[in-house]
Amino acid sequence: MSGDDWPTPMPRPGDDDDAGAEASVFAVFAPPETEIHGAPAGAGDPGPEPEADEPAATATPRDADDPVETGALGAQPAAAGLSVRNGPPVTPTANPPVGGVVDAGGADRGVRHRRRISPLRWASAALLGVWLVAMPLTSSVTELRQNTQIIVMVLAVLGVNVATGYGGMISLGHGVFVAVGAFAAAYAVDDLALPWAVSILAGAAFAGLVGALVGLPALRIKGIHLALVTLGLAIVFQPLAKRVPAFSGGVSGRAVGAELVPPSWFGTTRWAEGLYRYLICLAVVGLAMWVTYNVINSRPGRAMRAVRDNDTAAAVHGVNLVASRVNTFAVSASLAGLAGALGIILVPFTSQESFPFQESLVLYATAVLGGLGSLWGSVLGVAIREVFSRIGELLGGVSGLGPLGEFLRLLDEEQFVFGMLLVALTFVFPRGLIGLFNRRRGLPVSPSSQDRT
Amino acid sequence: MDVVLLLQRIFDALFNSAIYSSLALALVIIFRSTGLLNFAQGEMATFSAYIAFVLLAGAAPGVKGGGLAAWIGAPLVTPVAIGLAVIIGIGAGAATERVLIRPLRNAPELAMVNVTIGILLALNSLMGQWWGTGPRIFPPFFPSSPGDHIDIAGARIRYSTIGAWLVLLALLLLLALLLRYTRAGLAFRAVSIDPVSAALNGIRVGPTLMYGWALAAGLGAIAANMSANSVLLEPTMMVRVLVYAFAAATLGGLDSPKGALVGGVVVGLSQTLIPAYVPFIGFELSVLPALVAMVVVLIVRPAGLFGTQRIERV
Repeated sequence: MSGDDWPTPMPRPGDDDDAGAEASVFAVFAPPETEIHGAPAGAGDPGPEPEADEPAATATPRDADDPVETGALGAQPAAAGLSVRNGPPVTPTANPPVGGVVDAGGADRGVRHRRRISPLRWASAALLGVWLVAMPLTSSVTELRQNTQIIVMVLAVLGVNVATGYGGMISLGHGVFVAVGAFAAAYAVDDLALPWAVSILAGAAFAGLVGALVGLPALRIKGIHLALVTLGLAIVFQPLAKRVPAFSGGVSGRAVGAELVPPSWFGTTRWAEGLYRYLICLAVVGLAMWVTYNVINSRPGRAMRAVRDNDTAAAVHGVNLVASRVNTFAVSASLAGLAGALGIILVPFTSQESFPFQESLVLYATAVLGGLGSLWGSVLGVAIREVFSRIGELLGGVSGLGPLGEFLRLLDEEQFVFGMLLVALTFVFPRGLIGLFNRRRGLPVSPSSQDRT
Repeated sequence: MDVVLLLQRIFDALFNSAIYSSLALALVIIFRSTGLLNFAQGEMATFSAYIAFVLLAGAAPGVKGGGLAAWIGAPLVTPVAIGLAVIIGIGAGAATERVLIRPLRNAPELAMVNVTIGILLALNSLMGQWWGTGPRIFPPFFPSSPGDHIDIAGARIRYSTIGAWLVLLALLLLLALLLRYTRAGLAFRAVSIDPVSAALNGIRVGPTLMYGWALAAGLGAIAANMSANSVLLEPTMMVRVLVYAFAAATLGGLDSPKGALVGGVVVGLSQTLIPAYVPFIGFELSVLPALVAMVVVLIVRPAGLFGTQRIERV
């Protein structure tokens, strides 16, 4: 292993936009002493800007999500967040800024808030808001349904993000949890004749349970080996699902008999029906994101990130590794399951056919592309996926260009595009596209970098 | 229990064993030298098999690249085409290391996962787009008409099985000779043990790793070309095989070539025998026991049967 003596891969926020030498393009390699945004950043320098400090020995500070909160909670080294509970921070001596983080957190919040909100971010927030309102008003019934499916997909991607970005457990098999959520919800609403609300929750809960089971091996299996196991899970899922037809509908799939219909005052047209489902899905997605945000910024969430960055240090600081890992996987799987459950509201049919292993990999790619370790990164990932698929459709339709046309047709293949993007991204935007919005946002592709030191 | 039937199943399984061992060996070579798993190993191998297919098929409608065969004059004979495809596969493996892997030498393993998964997705989709997702008929590597077998105690062992094992053992011998008696082999062993010390001793680590990737790609390509006839050539042909190979490599110890060989035999046998005697696990689900075995090994004994114990420094 080269990790032992090469310069330690040190995630460092801030300079992914730097052009020039290869080393600076891949920000992860840069030495930790480099200055970031002009703030003093050396170890032993308890500067006023805690997140500019990159304590080498402990966790890597990185933003959780929202600009307002990140400064106070997310950007602290996770171990520091934990040490608050134990009175004076018990941290390695190489890491004096940690104390400063805890003290300065509150005072810093406002300052950072003002500085952070960039026009780009306002613009994209406005764009998203406008789209969410204008889209249903201008769409046909089919388009509305497709767009709702896209919104629901955010949850599945977020699930990958929670496991990989926040929990540091590479999951290449989240399509499985989406499918399990869909099957369980279908089973609940049809076979058990439960109301929709209960069924959807049941779908998410069941997927969470399965996720917890999958998370159990993750207690011992880490890093690349876990990636291997989850990939195996994604591959084995289709034949396995065919074997339990009572649950999954077997080879032919499962049609959902129950329908979610709006109350009569809402309207009875197909468009009103679609709008009703859109609103419900949007509400559930928003709610789930809000809950996830809070989980991530609560004690379990900080524990999650501490375990990701250095599990030994986290355990020393009192984190229960077993509980934390199982929790993380359960939360991430139930998010994916929720996406699956919402999916059957929109299309009353589900089948293992829709979840080949490639689907899981594309979900993973979407999460990485948007930005790991960032809630909005997942939203961005899904948005980008949609943009690329539209571009691909457009270009793929062009004919009569010979070899160039062949290439353009390839761009219509989501898998191909995402495979290439995943490779390119690792070189160009190691912290995902969210890094474009906020230089400190997003996890550089290194949740397990600390394992290698 | 029918002994002859059991023997027959074992003989049949041995062919798969050889394939899994080869691919597992490819994975082990890369893991040993770089500590990363090449998730794209299977797709790279399949791609090479498609190249052989194109060289063999000639310019047929619906076969992209068949014009190449037309340009040469005629479709090539099987051994030549497969040989060329393997050489191209080796070159592609070396190029992958040089272009995509080497710049990320110090990157965390997530970067490596991303790159290899990206290659997997892109290649898989590319092959589906160019050559169709349906299965293609691939000519046999070894004589495999119905009469080509030897009878042992009433069971038949096919020439293709014997051939696959001969190829595998020859490759192993070649590999051992390469590693033991050539300068590049010595450099490779040194880099596998400790890249920094190797570099300090004047070994060029990058090219040496490229050599490892080339070897691995070659092994994978040979495995794919040998098995393309029996499993039918399709873009996802090696996906399941990759799981078996990973299970084999894990079982034997991810950094042990001997382990890859033994693991391949065990996994190959279990893949045929378990579905035969456990009704729930039909042919399609036979990948499940491999996955379970992999998980169990990783939990109970991460080093596998022959691998080195990893000691984590805290």
